[in-house]
Amino acid sequence: MLKFLEYFLLTILIAGAMLISHWMGQQAYTWMPPQATAEAQRVDTLFSFLVSVGMFIFLGLVGMMLYSALFFRAKPDDYSEGHPSRGSVKLEILWTAAPTLLVLWIAFQNTNIYSQLNILGLKQIVQLPLEAPAHAASVESPNAASDTPKPADERIQVIATQWKWTFRYPNQAVSHELHLPVNERTRLDLQAEAVIHGFYVPAFRLKQDMIPKRDIDLVVTPNRIGKYRLQDSQYSGTYFALMEADVYVESREAYNQWLVAIAQQPIDEINSVIAEQLHPPKTLFKARWSSKAVEAVAKSTEVQEGDS
Amino acid sequence: MSSSPQPKPIHVDESPIDLERLRQKFPPWLRRFLPSGGGSHEDHHGKGMFGVVVFLLSESIIFLSFFFTYIVLRLTASEWLPPGITGPERSTFVILNTIILLSSSVVIQLAERSLSRHHLVKFRWLWLMTILMGSYFLIGQGIEWSQLDFGLRTGLIGATFYILTGFHGLHVLSGVILQVIILGRSFIRGNYNSGHFGVSATTLFWHFVDGIWVILFSLLYIW
Amino acid sequence: MTNPAISPDDSGGIELNQPIDRHWRDYFRFSTDHKVIGVQYILTTFIFFLIGGLMAMLVRAELITPELNLVDRPLYNALFTLHGTVMIFLWIIPFNAGLSNYLVPLMIGARDMAFPLLNAISFWLIPPAGILLIASFLLPNGPAQAGWWSYPPVSLQNPSGQLVWIISLILLGISSIMGAVNFVTTIVWLRAPGMTFFRLPIFVWSVLSAQLLQLINLPSLTGALILLTFDLAFGTNIFNPTQQGDPVLYQHLFWFYSHPAVYIMALPAFGIFAEVLPAFARNPLFGYRSLAIASLGIAAVSIFVWVHHMFASATPDWMRITFAITSMLVAVPTGVKALGWTATIWRGKLHLDTPMLFAMAGAAMFILGGITGVMLAANSFDLHVNNTYFVVGHFHYIVFNTITMAIFAAIYFWFPKITGRMYAEGWGKLHFWLTFIGANLTFFPMHPLGLQGMVRRVASYPPEYQGWNVIASLGAFLLGVSTLPFIANMVGSVLAGSRAVDNPWQATGLEWTTSSPPPRENFIEIPQVIFPPYNYGNPKAYGEASATQSGEDVSNE
Ligand code: HEA
Ligand code: HEA
Ligand code: CUA
Ligand SMILES: [Cu+2]
Repeated sequence: MLKFLEYFLLTILIAGAMLISHWMGQQAYTWMPPQATAEAQRVDTLFSFLVSVGMFIFLGLVGMMLYSALFFRAKPDDYSEGHPSRGSVKLEILWTAAPTLLVLWIAFQNTNIYSQLNILGLKQIVQLPLEAPAHAASVESPNAASDTPKPADERIQVIATQWKWTFRYPNQAVSHELHLPVNERTRLDLQAEAVIHGFYVPAFRLKQDMIPKRDIDLVVTPNRIGKYRLQDSQYSGTYFALMEADVYVESREAYNQWLVAIAQQPIDEINSVIAEQLHPPKTLFKARWSSKAVEAVAKSTEVQEGDS
Repeated sequence: MSSSPQPKPIHVDESPIDLERLRQKFPPWLRRFLPSGGGSHEDHHGKGMFGVVVFLLSESIIFLSFFFTYIVLRLTASEWLPPGITGPERSTFVILNTIILLSSSVVIQLAERSLSRHHLVKFRWLWLMTILMGSYFLIGQGIEWSQLDFGLRTGLIGATFYILTGFHGLHVLSGVILQVIILGRSFIRGNYNSGHFGVSATTLFWHFVDGIWVILFSLLYIW
Repeated sequence: MTNPAISPDDSGGIELNQPIDRHWRDYFRFSTDHKVIGVQYILTTFIFFLIGGLMAMLVRAELITPELNLVDRPLYNALFTLHGTVMIFLWIIPFNAGLSNYLVPLMIGARDMAFPLLNAISFWLIPPAGILLIASFLLPNGPAQAGWWSYPPVSLQNPSGQLVWIISLILLGISSIMGAVNFVTTIVWLRAPGMTFFRLPIFVWSVLSAQLLQLINLPSLTGALILLTFDLAFGTNIFNPTQQGDPVLYQHLFWFYSHPAVYIMALPAFGIFAEVLPAFARNPLFGYRSLAIASLGIAAVSIFVWVHHMFASATPDWMRITFAITSMLVAVPTGVKALGWTATIWRGKLHLDTPMLFAMAGAAMFILGGITGVMLAANSFDLHVNNTYFVVGHFHYIVFNTITMAIFAAIYFWFPKITGRMYAEGWGKLHFWLTFIGANLTFFPMHPLGLQGMVRRVASYPPEYQGWNVIASLGAFLLGVSTLPFIANMVGSVLAGSRAVDNPWQATGLEWTTSSPPPRENFIEIPQVIFPPYNYGNPKAYGEASATQSGEDVSNE
């Protein structure tokens, strides 16, 4: 009878924990920035799943620890033993097997979602001599056949320098804003100049490091009109924090209009790094240390100042 | 787990693996490197050699990271040899150098064996010969460096070639210095009364340095 | 204090081993006694913890507002770079080496480490390396400012500071390798008679696993740093992408060490939990053997997971997927540990003294940090949070909320053994609560920030992130305050604490069978081990019936 009651209570507890975990998993969607791509929805689904599983494990283990701390207290001078059990083969096998299964389940979900992301065109890094015997010439050409580009409608060059973003559009227009047509696959050709940068738009849930001299592409399909922020995600030196750019997802017509406009009349550059160099913010401590990259920017600032 | 606390349990140990029995099954030369169960405080030779082996295994990872770098760069670089550079050549000079270094491993092993058999004089001669062979290798390496048509800054080939051979050369040099010290100490009376751990350790180190050279030679001159 | 084991001025039970009274100056001299060296490590690294923590507080102070107002950008970058470097390489790793130095020979029944002189040299490399690193603030262009990873090519742009950073790290690496050779040899060779591998305390197993990782993986960092030095100082281009070099290669070499490094830091903490939890729950450690093997399992798996730090780097798809799976697999042996701890406490008779509070809280917060770790290992999700504060939150839940908590647990637990004095329990509890609250206030808000997309390593940020940042900064200042009662307690108790008996916690383990503090050679007579570890429930195991575990008295078997 007592055994039965124990199992009954245990069942209720587990069910309760599952309910709470499920609820947390639903909440998880609200912790994220807006979803502006199809990928974002998939990533959020995965995250929600991870939160549910994680919450369940957390509740179970921390719950047991808390319960012990509250109800299994010894009297201050009672130094006798708690229980003699040194282990239990059954239990130990169980709690090796259960996490293994859980982990495999998580791994399966993750692989599944990753295969749906379908975002990356990374050139094969190691060109084994065995693999390219006859096509030795293709190694030189920029469009090596080894890398099958994902089909895309639009192609934009993304150029990261220390410390600004530049975008070159199909009509050769150049801008410091990223404009993307909605619901179309756009292939971003990521190029970094001197150091590694990272392409990251939180609302897209996508991120890719940009390595100088390395052909790396990212295919995005934004599906929500709006203004978002592009942020450099790979630390790139002194003014790293200022490497932001605005991202506009807009209808095809608006996008085309903007392309024409920008080709005729480029917008004046408002570079926050140069602005900060000209008017350094007032800080309590000033180290004023400089690096090769800072010096380079400072020089170009002087040139610009002389120009204007 | 019921709640009858009466008979106080006394936990008895059941250790499934008898390491000492396992150890006895190995041949003596290998047994030297294996721990002899608990309480072998006095076995200084074994303890020391164990430490040296562990250290050398660790040291080999540095070389491994360099080999890895070399292989990756060589596979990925679009232009491994800058125009006009032929790269290191597998000349008879280099091959001779290699043969001398590798055979010095045999010589040093013979030296250690003579010492174990208490042939001190023979030990000194063989030991001196190892020193000479090692020094010959170092000098040969220097000559080869001076004759190459590329420098440290000549592309990736220059950087990797000089770093790899230089780091190895540094190990050869350390080995030779250790050998000289040991040769000097062999003239101290009673130096080997409490074993010859230093000699064994240096011998092992020398084999290690030679082993690394085999890999280096394959990577740099044969590939 | 009603604890019967702590009777002031009780000198009973200390007939066999006379505690030696050391002068405080002995701890500032060159010594080859592993106990002195252990204390030297502990004191030195704690100073570096304060320095690293001071830098963290400056970082947090800057982050209260979205704009710059405390430090300029180069200084901010130097602060987080050195904060990370100091905390990892001058606090947790060498602290663990110090604690292990003190405990391992005692726990396995040895008189000292295998190579005492080497041991002393390992320690004495640390102060110069640390001072060198901190002193690089005085360089004309400041210290290293490329983050603790020092990825090229950014790290190539500030040669002077970076070079000092490299030299310091190579020195610390040499110290670690020598220490690792010493620990592994000691554990394998110097165990007392009867101390079979499966009688080693779990702490020793953890140290063994961690030090094996040092041996296998640390040289890869040394190799990378040597190559970086050539790029920096001698004009080679191994990592320079514009001259055909490969910066991603550096990332692989770096993480091949620095991922296992996180387990080098974590494993000894797991070991501490396995010592403290049974002692205060009065239960044998549940599943001893599976916990022992799990230590090796964690170490083994963690060698093959390093690419999970490079999911957004130039890594092909197959690599991302493979390493996502291996990374998640670490959760299995780690889970065995976590479940073992929980089962140990379950139905125990808990004494919530300060060490127990720190250990339980640390174990609980580890579950959170571990679960966010598994989330990060899911590479599809990591694409979103990589290099955001979510990662910073994940690892501080482990490096501070787990490992530093475990370290505090260890300090309180072995304080009576090391100093021969008791600490003040009330002050310990105050320290615990301040730390526990401060830690969660500081590091929890980092998770929502990261999910919202706030990247790390920025001194200024978009204003919408300010709310959580203010909470985190206040928490950090609370953490700063929390160190004060701790320091006061330690200093006060060393000077004027009541005398501790040999085994104040009635714990098992050979270190508790000798005097507090132990004599120079640890044991009057090398003990003969006849019990399995964690023999709670057998009073003889903690010296109630006989003073030592000497082999004569085996009648109870
Ligand atoms: C010392 C500490 C430590 C420890 C122990 C861990 C443990 C883990 N870490 Fe963490 N990690 C760091 C320190 C640590 N980490 C640091 C310092 C960084 C950042 C470095 C930098 O970028 O500067 C980092 C970054 C980091 C990343 C990179 C993120 C990024 O940069 O984008 C990843 C990704 O996979 C990761 C994963 C993991 C995993 C899977 C574990 C696992 O070992 C966790 C396993 C534990 C559990 C899961 C809990 C207990 C288990 C159970 C109760 C069983 C049941 C559970 C399940 C089935 C899920 N960590
Ligand atoms: C390994 C251990 C470790 C530990 C213990 C800590 C502890 C802390 N860390 Fe951490 N941290 C790292 C390792 C660690 N950190 C690493 C590896 C990074 C990444 C670096 C990089 O990106 O390259 C990082 C980065 C990092 C950041 C991100 C910076 C950025 O990306 O821009 C932040 C921000 O809040 C932070 C905060 C803190 C805080 C508040 C503590 C607190 O817990 C500290 C508490 C301690 C104190 C507050 C000490 C108080 C001292 C005094 C009161 C007295 C001082 C007096 C004298 C010195 C005389 N850390
Ligand atoms: Cu710009 Cu990273
Ligand atoms: Cu990792």
